[in-house]
Amino acid sequence: MKRKQLKTLVSVGLAVPGAFMLYDFAAGTTLAMDLLEPTGVLSVRLMILAMLAGPLVEAFGTNRFFAAWLMLRRNLGVAAFGYVLLHLLFYAVDMTPPGILDELGLPGIWTGWLALALLIPSAAISFDSAVRALGRRWKTVQRLVYLALAVAFTHWLLLAWDWLPAALHIAPLAIAWLLRFRQRQAIVRHRSLS
Amino acid sequence: MNSILRATTFALAPVLALSFAPAAYADGNVACKPGPQENWKPIDKLKKKVWMEGWTLIKLQVEGDCYEVYARNSAGQVLEAFYHPETLEKLVVFRRGTEIYRKKGF
Repeated sequence: MKRKQLKTLVSVGLAVPGAFMLYDFAAGTTLAMDLLEPTGVLSVRLMILAMLAGPLVEAFGTNRFFAAWLMLRRNLGVAAFGYVLLHLLFYAVDMTPPGILDELGLPGIWTGWLALALLIPSAAISFDSAVRALGRRWKTVQRLVYLALAVAFTHWLLLAWDWLPAALHIAPLAIAWLLRFRQRQAIVRHRSLS
Repeated sequence: MNSILRATTFALAPVLALSFAPAAYADGNVACKPGPQENWKPIDKLKKKVWMEGWTLIKLQVEGDCYEVYARNSAGQVLEAFYHPETLEKLVVFRRGTEIYRKKGF
């Protein structure tokens, strides 16, 4: 399969749950309120999948599977942002603008807005010409995603008061970061020896 | 190669496992500690309680060992209230994760 076809196929696949959610909502079988948690959790999962590829490749070296995963990082990241927007849409429908303004000051809510704001720059430069134009700065901007994920987890914890699901989600990333750290240390040690 | 696969499986397993897990609803880990279920009052009895609070009911459900009510108050704020299934006493109320009411001693 050609690269472009695979990417398109994956993007379409990633959009399927969202299409079902929108359909359920439009058909009146699901409340907007009940779609907040699924859209939020899905966007976090996609963000984690997008962020896992880098450290795993650095820790274990590359192979065909990792190469494909790296190639699909943007699809995963953009899909994560898409679900963030869907999350916002269902929230707006559920709350209406006056309700949104009224609860803006609640910690569980403004953390959500902050996470969204932090994701906008990364999402906005997720196309090839932006990568070329920004050069090294592109990566610096993308690092905002780390902060966004941390704030998103805070948003989740403040609303659900249940640390276990959040901890289980962060665990694979934490392990991957640890492995990458060990790999980098090993490289530094190797260099200093030679 | 094998170690790469093992590590990937290791790293991905929790993500995949959770992809199939039902999404957890905000429960604030509230434990109402009621007796056996046959002594629980019908959940529909909460409708009147909600009406008497001046709230508009959005949803009634059993959450863990509690009855949970999603409602809007007269100001349009979304509330999440937990009731004891036997006594139908209001135990705790959250507004977007912020606790706004707790029964004395609970």
